[in-house]
Amino acid sequence: MTLATLRGSLRFRLLLGTLFWIAATILVAGWGLGNMFRQHVELQFHAELKTHLDQLTAQLVLDDQGQPMLAMPLSDPRLNKPFAGLYWQIDRLAGPGLPASPAVMRSRSLWDQVLHVPADAPASGDIHQHRIAGPQGEMLGMIERSVRIDVLPLRLIVAADEGLMIEPVARFNKELWLALGVLGLGLALAALVQVFVGLAPLQKLRAALGRVHGGESQRMEGVFPAEIMPLVEEFNTVLARNAEVVERARTQAGNLAHALKTPLSVLANAADGKDDALARLVAAQTEMARRQVDYHLARAQAAAAVRLPGARTPLGPIVDGLVRAMRRIHAGRNLDLVVQPIPATLAFRGEVQDLQEMLGNLLDNACKWASHRVEIDAVIEQDRLVIRVDDDGKGIAAAQREAMLRRGVRADQQVPGSGLGLAIVDDLARMYGGLVVLADSPLGGLRAVLTLPAAQ
Amino acid sequence: MRIMVVEDEPMLAEHLAEGVREAGYAVDVAHNGLDAHFMGDTEPFDAVVLDLGLPQMDGITVLKKWRDAGRTMPVLILTARDNWHEKVAGIDAGADDYLTKPFHMEELLARLRALIRRAGGHASAELACGPVTLDTRNNRVTVEGRALTLTSHEYRVLAYLMHHAGEVVSRSDLVEHIYAQDFDRDSNTVEVFIGRLRKKLPPGLIETVRGMGYRLVNPQ
Repeated sequence: MTLATLRGSLRFRLLLGTLFWIAATILVAGWGLGNMFRQHVELQFHAELKTHLDQLTAQLVLDDQGQPMLAMPLSDPRLNKPFAGLYWQIDRLAGPGLPASPAVMRSRSLWDQVLHVPADAPASGDIHQHRIAGPQGEMLGMIERSVRIDVLPLRLIVAADEGLMIEPVARFNKELWLALGVLGLGLALAALVQVFVGLAPLQKLRAALGRVHGGESQRMEGVFPAEIMPLVEEFNTVLARNAEVVERARTQAGNLAHALKTPLSVLANAADGKDDALARLVAAQTEMARRQVDYHLARAQAAAAVRLPGARTPLGPIVDGLVRAMRRIHAGRNLDLVVQPIPATLAFRGEVQDLQEMLGNLLDNACKWASHRVEIDAVIEQDRLVIRVDDDGKGIAAAQREAMLRRGVRADQQVPGSGLGLAIVDDLARMYGGLVVLADSPLGGLRAVLTLPAAQ
Repeated sequence: MRIMVVEDEPMLAEHLAEGVREAGYAVDVAHNGLDAHFMGDTEPFDAVVLDLGLPQMDGITVLKKWRDAGRTMPVLILTARDNWHEKVAGIDAGADDYLTKPFHMEELLARLRALIRRAGGHASAELACGPVTLDTRNNRVTVEGRALTLTSHEYRVLAYLMHHAGEVVSRSDLVEHIYAQDFDRDSNTVEVFIGRLRKKLPPGLIETVRGMGYRLVNPQ
């Protein structure tokens, strides 16, 4: 499938749109949920730090020498385990008569390390946040506050490994994206199913159209969804109207022929048997007029028929009818008309009258020229209907055959007939995309091979 | 031989009737389907020339009605629509041959002769009985190769007898087949024609079957 056909495909368009929206929705949802969770974890992290800081503040007292000490150790066990990721430290700030000294006290978890805190002096009651490097190079989230016990200015620091915060966020994100991925796949699958199921009636529509085109049915059969049904009904109406128009055109053409030919008959008969210049002129011109009427009538009928889809004509009954007619018309000639059995499935994709016209002319020619025997045989070859008509007459020289298919040429003026027969067969066959070929017959005479589109 | 010509176009009907009459047949003309049907159903014709496009009742219907009623006379249909659909329909309705308009009178007569001949079971255009031959193509009668001059009525009587050689033909049969319907018929004239023919033909050829009619026999 090329890009252009893809772009023209309804299914592709629907699918593309749906998939785009699914992807966009999942990305936004993932990003938003991840963000919310991270913020939540961060808040919790800092709230925990603040709890520890409050606890530290509450337990801080001065001993007898005026040195800070904790009235009770802090409860979190991580504070007693070296490098457990949770730390506290108390710095002494520079005050009256005392230099600043970092880490006058620190949690056991810090072991022999000191937190290097940026120089800062939060106003009383303020809590400041910083990120600092931890004892093992990890990043720590840290909060601090300044307190003054008696005159001693102190800075209380609580810090925790940011990994404690990052790890659950990473775990959450991993699970979140996994879940969203599964959701996205599910949605894409659902979209795919929806598009294929939703557009399945179009496939059915195409099949129904194919059957009409293939000559299997005269109208589009089947129940279609409410959105498509009006289209189908409209199409069926158009088909029916077409058939009606063709039928009317045929009738009118026939009426015109009748209206023209009766006066032509009168003229021709008036001139018949007289041998003056006027009579000869009338005879010649009426003959020419008759040929013109026949020729254009046949063409007009064929042109009307080919545009009518859905036409299907079983071959068997047509051949039977024509053979019956030939036996009667050529009754005086004692011909042996042999029809090879024609399977009932053989059908022509076109109008009854056109098939009758083509076969009728071929058979009539064969009967006129045959000495004793005419054979008819039909087969399907590569989706084409191939009909062979053989006779055991004297045949036509290869050089003359081409001319026979041309308009109005007669091999022998003695045999009655318009001479248009083969030309009309050729014209009709061509209009259906078929052809007629003249060849030598194994019976000794002429073989006419008519190839036409077959109907299923 | 008596022929019915069914054609609604008056000029063409007249030409047809004239042509057929000149060929030695008695001719009746019908101008519409109803008349044609009635005449064909009640009168004994030896052949019918039937146009398919007729007012009141179309030719195919007329033909079907005749065939359904058991009328077997040969019918030549005339059609303006030169397509096999109509020809097949015509043949299936019971026609014996067709001719497409416009046509030449000679062709029509040739087809008509062939139909009448076939209906009588004769293979050749020349009928023979002993030394007498009758060529239906040119209405020539010869006795031992010598041409015979006959009036049109004498010819019709002889032609009918020749077509039915060996059969007994009643006087009324002869009247029915040598005169058109509108002709002032008189069965006594048949005897006159038979008398004249006997004088011109070899003795013993036309046999009188008492109380029944006449029979053509080979005197040898």
